[in-house]
Amino acid sequence: MKKYYIIARNTWDEVFTYRASFVMWRVRNIIQLISIYFLWSVILPPGKTLLGYSQSLMLTYILGTSLLDSIVLSSRTYIVGEEINNGNLMNFLLRPINYFAYWFAKDAGDKLMNICFSAVELTLIFLVLRPPFFLQTNIFYIFFFICSVILSLFNYFFLNFLLGLIGFWSPEVWAPRFIFITVLGFFAGSLFPLDILPQAIYNIMKFLPFFYLLYFPLKVYLGQLSFLEITSGLLISSFWAFGIYFLVNIIWKKGLKSYTAYGR
Amino acid sequence: MEDKLSFLKYFKLWWMMTFMVSQNAFVSRFGAVLFVFGKLIRFSFFLFFLLIIASRTNAIVGYTIWQIILFYLTFNIIDSLAQFFLREVYRFRNYVVSGDFDYFLTKPVPALFRLLFGGSDILDIPILLLSSVFIYVALSHIGPLTILNILIYLGLLINGFVIMLSFHILVLSIGVITTEVDNTLWLFRDITQMGRFPIDIYQNPLRSFITFIIPVGVMVTFPAKAAMGLLSFSSVLISVGIGAAFLYLSIMFWRFSLKKYSSASS
Repeated sequence: MKKYYIIARNTWDEVFTYRASFVMWRVRNIIQLISIYFLWSVILPPGKTLLGYSQSLMLTYILGTSLLDSIVLSSRTYIVGEEINNGNLMNFLLRPINYFAYWFAKDAGDKLMNICFSAVELTLIFLVLRPPFFLQTNIFYIFFFICSVILSLFNYFFLNFLLGLIGFWSPEVWAPRFIFITVLGFFAGSLFPLDILPQAIYNIMKFLPFFYLLYFPLKVYLGQLSFLEITSGLLISSFWAFGIYFLVNIIWKKGLKSYTAYGR
Repeated sequence: MEDKLSFLKYFKLWWMMTFMVSQNAFVSRFGAVLFVFGKLIRFSFFLFFLLIIASRTNAIVGYTIWQIILFYLTFNIIDSLAQFFLREVYRFRNYVVSGDFDYFLTKPVPALFRLLFGGSDILDIPILLLSSVFIYVALSHIGPLTILNILIYLGLLINGFVIMLSFHILVLSIGVITTEVDNTLWLFRDITQMGRFPIDIYQNPLRSFITFIIPVGVMVTFPAKAAMGLLSFSSVLISVGIGAAFLYLSIMFWRFSLKKYSSASS
């Protein structure tokens, strides 16, 4: 267990080695957030509602997705495909280390750092813009919100890992990831709450894993879902987490059989 | 006559470099197709997002849906033009760190030309064509437009590209001095993405910042407003002045950076 703690801690050291890059990246996040924040501020002026969203609910949603984005969608596993391609995977296979746990530990370090910086940034945004904010006080919703975030962490981790495994059979690992990021950016709900989509598309989205990464946890936090909707959502999210986990395991084993450590 | 020959020479050079880079891009045809597909998805999704907002609200800061779409398309075409022509800038850090930049400096081709136009990304062509078609559709839906407005729109699009070019020169110059390229470039791209919506949605001092300091508004919002007949003649002149000033300053900074270049990596 200690070695995984050291791996997580090393992620902090890695990030602070390239401080300028990290700061620039955080600034970029703020710019993206401000852009969407202002858009929704003008679409929903005070007093107006849109499909059940008042300005405070919508801005809480947008700011909330920013925080969740840094928790859920920050992952280092995008390097997995590259490591397979350049043969570096062999270094891990020869060591007494679990490759999945290694990346999970790295992700944990990365996420912790992102949470810290995101919290500071959001505090600054609150101080400067003073947005109307909805604070959830119902312990029931807070509990299920935490459950849904934990499930989304696993969902995203395994989804990302799965994409990296393409590296076993193809050197083209970036192009599929580019499409994945594009689809994710739209259907995870970071740009807008998914229930403003036409009903038919929304109904399909409910059965896809993207739905449960940002949108679902935020809806639980806002208290806009019934108990039945929350439990069915958690069940579907769990189904995806376990489903993708088993798929990753099967593909990982198949991939290792065809792996030749080319590049080392 | 000499100028014409010179232009042809540079055009031929650009063509050759683009041809070679394109051959590289198609080494993996599967990857190339996926990248083009991804760009088309991104374009369509954002357009779809704007349409959804429009279907739920009547107007955004007083603009109709087609006007909002024109703002986005104008951003998209300037951004895609920059990505198409100036793709080599994304490879610059590697040239500085590896010392290859010295090799470019010793060549009889101006280094700045080589670094800016050293290989266009033909994978951006589909999105450029699509944006052009949609701009035509959006303009025809906006209403009666005068030839003058369209000409000013096209002129300001070129001006927007000049500002984009100037920023890429600035990024290269910063790269020469600090070897930092990628983050500066992406930061600049994120700021320009604020131009996907009319800058009227932003509050001051942010609005002033993206109008005059990093003139996203001049690059994107002004051309679209000119097409709608909402831009005064003085604003058109100011836009061109800002474009010329940015180009001049960026070239001056590039020359300054070259004097500071230590060639440490070679």
